[in-house]
Amino acid sequence: MINEEKVILMTRMASYEEHEGRKDISITHYFRGDYIGFQVLKSVIAATFSFFALFAVYIFYNFEELMQDIYNMDLLAFGKSVIIRYLCMVGIYGVVSYVVFASKYSRARKSLKHYHDNLRKLSGMYDK
Amino acid sequence: MINDEDDHMTTLLVAKQYMKNFINKYEIYLKPLMKLVLALTALMMINGKIGYMHKLDNTSIVLILALMCSFMPTNFIIFVAAAFTVLHFYALSLECAAITLILFLVMFLLYFRFSPKDTVVVVLLPICFVLKIPYVIPLAMGLVGTPASVVSVGCGVAVSYLINYVADSATALSGMEAEDITTRLRFVIDGLLNNKEMVLTIAAFAITIMVVYLVRRLSIDHAWTIAMIAGAIVDVMVLLVGDLMFDTKVSMVGIFVGTIFSLLIVKILEFFVFHLDYSRVEKVQFEDDEYYYYVKAVPKITVATPARTVKRINTPRKRSGSGQSRR
Repeated sequence: MINEEKVILMTRMASYEEHEGRKDISITHYFRGDYIGFQVLKSVIAATFSFFALFAVYIFYNFEELMQDIYNMDLLAFGKSVIIRYLCMVGIYGVVSYVVFASKYSRARKSLKHYHDNLRKLSGMYDK
Repeated sequence: MINDEDDHMTTLLVAKQYMKNFINKYEIYLKPLMKLVLALTALMMINGKIGYMHKLDNTSIVLILALMCSFMPTNFIIFVAAAFTVLHFYALSLECAAITLILFLVMFLLYFRFSPKDTVVVVLLPICFVLKIPYVIPLAMGLVGTPASVVSVGCGVAVSYLINYVADSATALSGMEAEDITTRLRFVIDGLLNNKEMVLTIAAFAITIMVVYLVRRLSIDHAWTIAMIAGAIVDVMVLLVGDLMFDTKVSMVGIFVGTIFSLLIVKILEFFVFHLDYSRVEKVQFEDDEYYYYVKAVPKITVATPARTVKRINTPRKRSGSGQSRR
């Protein structure tokens, strides 16, 4: 006999596995710290690239002034201000991505826990 | 008794139900079709507005790419549209293409990592700008999105204004001497950054999204309707006040008419699209010790069936009787 309740449960689980489940499982394969750390690292790299792109635009934009002043400007102070801006940008972006990915991880964890509960319920049905 | 308003409502509800069934039934075909239409519109508008590279301004190329977009993920459309824009700008001037490329790069790198869902706004907004109803987007995003949609909408506005600006000053750009890279670069960047209208539009849209989002989440009756009307009013107010403050010379009539049209469109969208739950028909396969299961799970339709009113043409003679208790 086909157990209707079991089929319903299995259908729900199979559809979860096919859609959100796949992503959730791949996220929770990592430890929390590893996952978030990896994502933040990616964010830092992305921010670095963007910063250099924007910096290049800035240099080209002010090319003539920079060329004129290059001998009498305080290169050290200029470099310092650039580095401070870079750190600010990367820092803020890193914090934002930490928050985003931490919440993503905990959400994935939660729905996966629900899935495991269902799994346990299903195996309970077999024992009956 | 039956009144006209009820009748209209019933017709609308039936239409909605029909729509829902239709979407549920043909979702597999509708989704690629929508993507195809979106990609086709976007690419043709890009070609029409900034078709400087003649090789790309070709119907067969557009068709092939649009077909490709129809079965790729939605974000592929953005990618193709961005590539198209950059290539067209490259034919116009290298500096222009470089700046656009950097703008897209920063956008992709910094923002689209987080919310790949509402990125399609970046394609939709320039299209809506051409149709003169950009106000649809912030209202709709406030209703279905999150406050983070502010960034996508901001990116979309920036892209629209960049395309517009380059299209308007194409002759000036191509007239400049070839060696003068810095001048051309400055010309494009200044045009983009000193565009007060763009900054004002971004600010107005951001405030609109926040207002719509906050109001729609209130637990009051008709929260969605109130949210969109409040959003529209705030949008118009910010644009008008900004116009007074920065003297941006926006068209008042355009704003009013565009906003009213946008409000109507969003209302229609709300009725037919946003309230549909996208629980779809699922086909799954699994097995246990005894059987293989091939299950097709069809979501139950939960919209209230239209209330029927019985119109009485003859007033019944007999007042009593068990058969008379019709509604």
